[in-house]
Amino acid sequence: MDRGYTLVVCEKPDAARRVSDALSGGDSKSVLVDGTTVFRFTRKGEEFVVCSAQGHVYGVSDPSDERSVYPVFDVEWYSSDLVDEDSAGAARRISSVKKLATGASKFVNACDFDVEGETIGYNLLRYACGGKEGAALRARFSTLTEEDLVKAFDDLKSQVGQGLARAGRARHVIDFVWGVNLSRALSQSALGSGHRYRTVSVGRVQGPTLAFLVEREKEVRQFVPIPYWKVSGIFEKDGRKLTAGYARERVEVRALAEKLRKECVGKEAVVSEVRKNIVQASPPVPFNIGDLQKEAYRAFGFTPSRTLQIAERLYLGALISYPRTGSQRLPPSLNYRRIIQGIGAISEYSSYVAELLKPGLKPVQGAKDDPAHPAIHPTGEKPRRALDRSEWSVFDLVVRRFLAAFGPSARRELVDVTLAVGMNEFRLAGARTVFPGWMRYYGRFTGYRDVELPNISEGDKFRVDDVLVEEKFEQRPPRYNQGSLLEKMEKERIGTKATRADIIATLVGRGYVSGESMEVTDLGLTVDETLGRYAPSIISTELTRGIEEELEEVERGEKGEAALLRDTVRSIAGQLAELNTNEEAVGEEIDSALMMTVAKSFVLGKCPVCKAGELRVIRSKKTKKRFVGCSNYASGCRASAPLPQSGTIKTTVRPCEHCSWPIVYVVGRGRPWRLCVNPACPGKKKP
Amino acid sequence: MKCVLCGREGVSDLCLYHAEAKERVEAAYPKWVAACGGIDWKDYLDNVKRNPQTGQWAKEIAEHLQGV
Repeated sequence: MDRGYTLVVCEKPDAARRVSDALSGGDSKSVLVDGTTVFRFTRKGEEFVVCSAQGHVYGVSDPSDERSVYPVFDVEWYSSDLVDEDSAGAARRISSVKKLATGASKFVNACDFDVEGETIGYNLLRYACGGKEGAALRARFSTLTEEDLVKAFDDLKSQVGQGLARAGRARHVIDFVWGVNLSRALSQSALGSGHRYRTVSVGRVQGPTLAFLVEREKEVRQFVPIPYWKVSGIFEKDGRKLTAGYARERVEVRALAEKLRKECVGKEAVVSEVRKNIVQASPPVPFNIGDLQKEAYRAFGFTPSRTLQIAERLYLGALISYPRTGSQRLPPSLNYRRIIQGIGAISEYSSYVAELLKPGLKPVQGAKDDPAHPAIHPTGEKPRRALDRSEWSVFDLVVRRFLAAFGPSARRELVDVTLAVGMNEFRLAGARTVFPGWMRYYGRFTGYRDVELPNISEGDKFRVDDVLVEEKFEQRPPRYNQGSLLEKMEKERIGTKATRADIIATLVGRGYVSGESMEVTDLGLTVDETLGRYAPSIISTELTRGIEEELEEVERGEKGEAALLRDTVRSIAGQLAELNTNEEAVGEEIDSALMMTVAKSFVLGKCPVCKAGELRVIRSKKTKKRFVGCSNYASGCRASAPLPQSGTIKTTVRPCEHCSWPIVYVVGRGRPWRLCVNPACPGKKKP
Repeated sequence: MKCVLCGREGVSDLCLYHAEAKERVEAAYPKWVAACGGIDWKDYLDNVKRNPQTGQWAKEIAEHLQGV
């Protein structure tokens, strides 16, 4: 490479390609340097080379190779491939950037402008480019469209994200020191109880998040329903019948419900009041990442981490703006008109554009702001490739939410009808949209339902045909789902918009919660209980929230990171000492939970043959092969079935709809597949 | 001491979770009596055990108390 070019560092290869295409007008050349693709072009007489990381190519670790050693407080930054086996390409990328840096006279950080992006760029510029983190310029943009990228490179800034990078690096160090020490302490305690090593992890945000789940799990499992009665009347006039509920939704005493019935049946009911109200429904505020994740969970059942991954793909495709934003605001500096016109070129939305493109375009704005990026919005570009179904779903949601923000308020008519039967009152409620406004653009995601009532006027008389008394029970509280847990984490202000989804996925991956219902496992209960007893700060929301607040101060440049790191180390050391003192008890508790979890993971469900035993995964001592057998074998049940010998077997709750044998998922290298373990299942097609 | 229902460590014959569930089952009884206009303890436990809304630990406690 020649001397004197500008080296641009991007976060991901797709972003590097976008930057190159935008700045070169599509006239860049791709070159392989140490096995990684970089782009070369000339712009306004200046030579550019654009290279990229692949997410984090540096990570924190301890200098010792011993994974059982703790405490660990002296840590270093290493090439990610040395600390994480999933980051095998990091060394090649670093080597490529190092080689390119020797020929560069100017450096530009073009990673995503947030804590993680700043950290990635800072580390590459510092370690691979030989200390250029202070001298490098910053390209700041929120979309990967040509217009935004050209604007960002025409207006390069200096030193804008140093606070973000310091906070990001401090967060990585704190989370590593926290996680490695406490996880090793717990794993070693369990190992001390005489069983095989298994990682029992507890991260800084993971602990309090698990505590939320356990708190709810206790409420669910200890719940005792109290009965109540729901009373509704069937009213008849000229052969027309309608049902109205008793004014009090719950009647707590059965005798009172029965008394009501006796008092009302066969009597005359008079419509004593018909109240109609027109209410305005404002458009929903623009999406920040948390809102998008919750809405995608509600609309499609996508987990937060899945939504984030899809949103990032759409961002890299220049279809939507940067998704890891906390903002619910669309600043006037965005070219609303150009974006809406661009959306109009997509056939699904073309009919809305003419309605919306009026003078004085003004979106509804939310309360939350993020100085780094605006709310998530479409860029106005048409997809250049076919989007898969999940990508289209999220894209459609983002586009419709954006369009809805410009729509007028909707109007809904609410109708309340009161029917009096002597001193007793029954109520009917109806609702309908009289002016859809923004709902037209938000479409199927709107969530309002119309309940039409027949024409009823005050003074109308009905006969009480019957009164129904239904016994009901209080409903137990729902477990968190991934959407509501994310909401709880946001409300409690633990984790960041970039990390919350991963933390939830880690809790599932570690076996602390299982399945879609987020039911806490025995292991999750025990980890929480043990930590609560011996090291309560680890699961305390206050400590984690306090660290988050201090990290935000570091981000804003109001605080240095050294004091925060020192305080955190002191706090962890105290917790470790407490765990060490009680190592034996901690080990026994965790080990016993591990054993229960392992035992449960082998149980597939009730045996459909003998109806008394359980079908289990058994490994043959002779052949070492696994198969399904009944726990009632000794009593004569011979139910058995073969199993695939590779991949992990995951149990499910629902039995097969054809034969009632258990259904399992086989998770291997490819896509997980669903299998009824019964080889003679009538639902299986014969070849 | 191990919990007779789940094998977890506990201070009595029940672990902390089941002990709390027992308190809840006992506390709910007067509310059932008031709501139903009288129900005897055994019928109450039977109802709690069979109700699909009852939590798993509360169900185990109801079954355990039936055997006491």
